[in-house]
Amino acid sequence: MAMDEPILKNKIHRTAGEERIRRQQEMTIANRRLVALFVERSSRQWVVRDPEGNFWLIPAVEDGWGHRQPFQLTDEAELEPVPGHYIYMLDLPF
Amino acid sequence: MNAEQIRLEEARVGKVSWKKWGPYLSERQWGTVREDYSEGGDAWNYFGHDQARSRAYRWGEDGLAGISDDQQNLCFALALWNGKDPILKERLFGLTNSESNHGEDVKEYYFYLDSTPTHSYMKYLYKYPQAAYPYSRLVETSRVRGRKEMEYELLDTGVFNENRYFDVFVEYAKASPEDILIQFSIHNRGPEPAELHLLPTLWFRNQWSWHGYSARPVLRQMAGAGGVKSSDAKLGERYLYCEGAANFLFTENETNMQRIFGVPNRTPYVKDGINNAVVHGQEGAVNPEKKGTKVAAHYKLSVKPGECRVVRLRLTDVVPAGAAAGNGEQAGQFGGGFEAVLDARRSEADEFYKGMTPATSNADEANVFRQALAGMLWSKQFYHYDVDKWLEERGSDPFKAVRKAAPRNEHWHHMYNGDVISMPDKWEYPWYAAWDLAFHVVALTLVDVDFGKQQLKLMLRERYMHPNGQIPAYEWNFGDVNPPVHAWSTIFTYWLEKGQKGEGDRDWLKSNFQKLLLNFTWWVNRKDRSGRNVFEGGFLGLDNIGVFDRSAPLPTGGYLEQADGTAWMALFCENMLEISAELALTDPDYADMALKFVEHFFWIASSMAQVGDDTGMWDEEDGFFYDVLRLPNGQAQRLKVRSMVGLLPLCAATVFNGEVLTKYPELMERARNFLEARPEVRAAIHDPVKTGVAGRRLASILDEPKLRRVLAKMLDENEFLSPYGLRSLSHYHADHPYVFQTGGQEFRVSYLPAESDTGMFGGNSNWRGPIWMPVNLLIIRALLQYYAYYGDEFIVECPTGSGNKMNLYQVAEEIGRRLTRIFLRDKDGRRPVYGGAEKFQRDPHWRDCILFYEYFHGDNGAGLGASHQTGWTGVIARIMHVFATISPAALLEGGKKQYAKSSASAEPSGRKDPSGKGAAA
Repeated sequence: MAMDEPILKNKIHRTAGEERIRRQQEMTIANRRLVALFVERSSRQWVVRDPEGNFWLIPAVEDGWGHRQPFQLTDEAELEPVPGHYIYMLDLPF
Repeated sequence: MNAEQIRLEEARVGKVSWKKWGPYLSERQWGTVREDYSEGGDAWNYFGHDQARSRAYRWGEDGLAGISDDQQNLCFALALWNGKDPILKERLFGLTNSESNHGEDVKEYYFYLDSTPTHSYMKYLYKYPQAAYPYSRLVETSRVRGRKEMEYELLDTGVFNENRYFDVFVEYAKASPEDILIQFSIHNRGPEPAELHLLPTLWFRNQWSWHGYSARPVLRQMAGAGGVKSSDAKLGERYLYCEGAANFLFTENETNMQRIFGVPNRTPYVKDGINNAVVHGQEGAVNPEKKGTKVAAHYKLSVKPGECRVVRLRLTDVVPAGAAAGNGEQAGQFGGGFEAVLDARRSEADEFYKGMTPATSNADEANVFRQALAGMLWSKQFYHYDVDKWLEERGSDPFKAVRKAAPRNEHWHHMYNGDVISMPDKWEYPWYAAWDLAFHVVALTLVDVDFGKQQLKLMLRERYMHPNGQIPAYEWNFGDVNPPVHAWSTIFTYWLEKGQKGEGDRDWLKSNFQKLLLNFTWWVNRKDRSGRNVFEGGFLGLDNIGVFDRSAPLPTGGYLEQADGTAWMALFCENMLEISAELALTDPDYADMALKFVEHFFWIASSMAQVGDDTGMWDEEDGFFYDVLRLPNGQAQRLKVRSMVGLLPLCAATVFNGEVLTKYPELMERARNFLEARPEVRAAIHDPVKTGVAGRRLASILDEPKLRRVLAKMLDENEFLSPYGLRSLSHYHADHPYVFQTGGQEFRVSYLPAESDTGMFGGNSNWRGPIWMPVNLLIIRALLQYYAYYGDEFIVECPTGSGNKMNLYQVAEEIGRRLTRIFLRDKDGRRPVYGGAEKFQRDPHWRDCILFYEYFHGDNGAGLGASHQTGWTGVIARIMHVFATISPAALLEGGKKQYAKSSASAEPSGRKDPSGKGAAA
């Protein structure tokens, strides 16, 4: 199976451990910068991360984005990811 | 032409869209890769059965005995409630891969009884228990069973005891392409009256929430007309007329956000609204304004024991004013005309199948034949998957600098699938699989050559095939490697149509050839590591057949030279040669391609015997082919497992009548020069210069001595030849397991005639013993090729050691007979496919309903694996047809193309019809 992976040009040689750490770091950075939709179970609300990485509470009303409130991400917050296609339902501007 | 043939022709020329509506709903959309948006790609657990009633699907719809249009805008299916279940029966239930001791498995009884190729008539049977469906018991009991135990089936739960169940027959009949009659016939098989809620359901696939469509379709109850009007910007208007008094329950095909995500719903009417209203009495769950995007006509029936209640509906574009006639509006829809149309479609289906069922078939054979084809046709499904969009929605947009890694299919973002495709099994495998599809076409072309052609071409389209030439395997990993059988199916389909019509579709053949060339080159460049024409490929569809997982890094290091992979490539060469030779008859540009594939075949075929000297794939001592393990230290050894891997080289055999050599004599000279310059190549394979019966030439890896030696094992009942076909692993390994030791680990291959005893590849497939229909078909094909070349002079013992002598046609026929035996009643009236399931063996309401399993017990023929895999098991119909259609004499006289010509003629070639009633179509 590995033989089917495209070979990256100019790939820098790394150990397996270094490669794993690098990918985890990349994924963490990526996760922080991607538009994403969540539900916050305790408050029963939508939470959106915008392209700038800011979090917003979206109420379940008409023009929810227009009525958004900043959401402070804390250790206690229980954010559950929601598939990206649900973003259309909230009429977000991005 | 009969009525169905006329409809097929009208559909083919684009005059009438007979196939627009069909059985295109999946039996399971939950638990699929498309619907999976989990971080780790845990498709089974991310979106399970329990969520399915409440969560709107993103990519497609499922339903019970359902139909839709060919873009799945509007769907119709059956829903039921026995008053005891915790939920409506809206879809089939089954265990996920991790819940079952032998991989995912549907726990329902349903049967595809009939279908015409245009779906002008269809019939389905669902058996619904009157007791509460034992969801939890099935999960809990299965969870504690080990791999050495049998699966816990629905019958085992006792829920069908005393026959306390309903037989629900669903029939569809088209009065016109847009006017579909629907009839439910409900039989109470139990000893007491029983209540049944019948809920025929109409709904729109939710495209408005996530495709950015502004136009939202709507369903509304019609005043006074006893039905529902559907309005959609794409489909226009349709009407569902419902006979009798039904209460219409409306809701929206929207996710119940509250239940799934814990946030308030935007609308009170959500996907499980009808379920909640009927089962839990929540009247507020359905829209009192009688409108929505999902509606059920709620019938409450009380059915006496032995009684049959009939409910009729009609889904049509006929407007209410136009439909009214006679006494009231409903009479127009359900008057005498309804019964007349239904009867006509049933009769036309009978006429169609009578015309193409082998005339030598008895009633049982004809039933098996017809249900095999019904299953093939019912297994069509609308499959929608925009991989680029899916990746984007997962945060893995391949064109964004910042993105998450996707769990799969990251390199297949070019793919846009939105077509009706033949599925292997719409519950267990509700996604297309490339090499399965090639076999499906071999069965489907018995009834619909156009659909078969369309399917083969589809996989080669730019929105399926990777730009690098790889054909997509299946959604779990499009980049997996499937055996290259597409070219074989292509040329076989071409010959069939040429035989039927007198002229082949050269444009279609040419177009496919161009794309297959890309695929061939992909194989050569990617899977021949050493450049010596020996190929790898991984498990190549044969799951656990190897000593190791052939798709994973080897525990020894190094790599495998695969006998099956190399044999597939040799066959691929033969198929491409056959295609280019045919095209060269009218276009000289293809003559050079023909020569290219002749030479490439020589290279690959000879490598199987020649490369590696004493560590090549051919083992002279055993007289068999094996994979070769090449170790990092340069050493090599054959992995001496006698399996289908070693029989596949026999399949790389194709006979040629030499037409192209007559037209281009310089090709023969160039090929001869090639061989004379390389005597070692010529010595390693069957001599292609030597002619056989009628001057034919044979491209074959195996020369006569090797062929005899392999056949000796293949036809040995202590090895491969079981009473029900050829085993995937020799029975020899029952007492002589193959053991390989490395790095302190032991790898063992033993003969396992039934289910797998490991979780390798999901644990729901087993190639260490059972009988698999597709590879048996390829062996039958090869034997007939060899017979067309060698003729009656080539005699073998069959079975080996029996003293019984047969020519190769007779051997092929004997294998076909054994395979067919799986499904037919034996002298005791039992069908081997049903093993010890006494209900299926004895009960008159079960015993003639045939299930076409994925594979079969290596000793007793019992069905195993997916239970509705008419997919490639449906080729049994083709096998039955071949031996009923063409005699040995006709094959010798006319060559391999004689079958195609015979299929098209009124009388099968050389076969007598004992009934004197006339032959196959």
